[in-house]
Amino acid sequence: MFNKILFATTASPASDDAAHVAFDLAKKYEAEMKVFHAFGLPSRGFSSIVKDVRTGEEAMNDTDYANWVLEEMKTTYEKQSENVKKLEFATTAGVAHTEILRTARKDDVDLIVMGAHTRQEDVGATRYRSIVGSTMQKVAKGAKCPVLIVSRPCTTCFWYFSNVVFCTDFSKAADSAFKFAFKVANFIGCKLYMFHSLDMSALASGKVMSQEEIEEKIAEAKKKIEKRYVSQMGDFDNYEIEVLEGIPYVEIVKYSRKVNGDLIIMAHHTREVDPEKALLGSTVEQVVLRASCPVASVNRPDKVDEAE
Amino acid sequence: MNKIILTHNGQIIYNQRPLASSPLPYLNYQVELEDSYTLRSYFQMFEHYPVLGDTHEFLPGVREQYRSCPDQGCSWEDVEYLEFGKTVEMIGFPSEPRLEIYNALRGVRGKESCELKNILLEGFLDIPVKLGNLKHIVFGDKVDVFQFETVFTLFEIIDGITWELSFQSSSNACNVRR
Repeated sequence: MFNKILFATTASPASDDAAHVAFDLAKKYEAEMKVFHAFGLPSRGFSSIVKDVRTGEEAMNDTDYANWVLEEMKTTYEKQSENVKKLEFATTAGVAHTEILRTARKDDVDLIVMGAHTRQEDVGATRYRSIVGSTMQKVAKGAKCPVLIVSRPCTTCFWYFSNVVFCTDFSKAADSAFKFAFKVANFIGCKLYMFHSLDMSALASGKVMSQEEIEEKIAEAKKKIEKRYVSQMGDFDNYEIEVLEGIPYVEIVKYSRKVNGDLIIMAHHTREVDPEKALLGSTVEQVVLRASCPVASVNRPDKVDEAE
Repeated sequence: MNKIILTHNGQIIYNQRPLASSPLPYLNYQVELEDSYTLRSYFQMFEHYPVLGDTHEFLPGVREQYRSCPDQGCSWEDVEYLEFGKTVEMIGFPSEPRLEIYNALRGVRGKESCELKNILLEGFLDIPVKLGNLKHIVFGDKVDVFQFETVFTLFEIIDGITWELSFQSSSNACNVRR
């Protein structure tokens, strides 16, 4: 299912949870794996100064420093590396999301695995900003392949997942997310929950719907899920459909917790909006921060169609 | 500023008497916590004043978690107390500067902070809750972090604690299967 996996690490403990899942996946699927770290951001324009990932202090970007970072990464993941057949470590200096996307494109990877945060300190700030402007958000938005975001310890591994939750708003991007969700559920043989939330936050600013209208919309959405997704699933019958009204990210998190979701799959920006505007308040970011399981963001059909 | 006291058993005291009417007009009152105030006291407040349960979209969910917790002994040795604090941060320089203000609940042991999101709610319900300072961070420079005494309103407490708890969950299912 995955032949090449890119694990984008911060080379700090903030990536430990993601590392666990990434190495597990590579082992299970005997995939090639690249452990990649883009260190620091050149201060302004060209600079030989980078920000050290451990200390946050400035360091000289030279061959010695790069080699030192590589050695640190190899030492950090030494034990987990034993189970991966083909493993490569790589670093570069630059803007993290650009370098991750560039590497993913160059290596034609099937999956990017990464954590949600760069650093674990100042948790309140990270959450308040909903990781706006972070590497994770930009990678999830721009990647052609699925991006698996792991924001907290996951003691399972990919082939143990038994409850995959696919969230849709019926957009084109969500179609790609569905393909991936179905492929995963079918491959693993686990249950697929298909979920849609009637966005009451958007409706609240306009016409207030009556209970009858809400129920009508819910019934419509259920039919739409049947027509749009279930029709593509052939004999696969291990699924459930649920539609609830509310604020989408709240309902997704609540639903996933209720059904013990192991993996949530959704598009990064589920509505057809200007990608730049999608940066703020994106549902997937809120879900990443609050869900108790990894979240896979899928925006494009490219690698989903190819992956077998 | 008008002041109310949140008691250990979840009552709201104003003018030395428990509130008998709706607590909504008191949402912007300054809050003082009783010494023995815990997170359990916070949840008990919603039993006394159900209307407050509608003030945050995640409250129904976290209250459901609370109801499934044991009646006592919910503490975690790594967390000495919970601190509710406020941060004012100037960010953005050299690009367009902006000011952000947010509240956060954190676990404290000694002088160290710890993450609550991976601890089950039953791990810290009976841990004392204290009100902290206002932290002022100037353009992300840790050297320029100033701390000031401040006040918190009832709304800030409800919104901030529930906001924090909305991130808090643990992958039970995974643990069970393992």
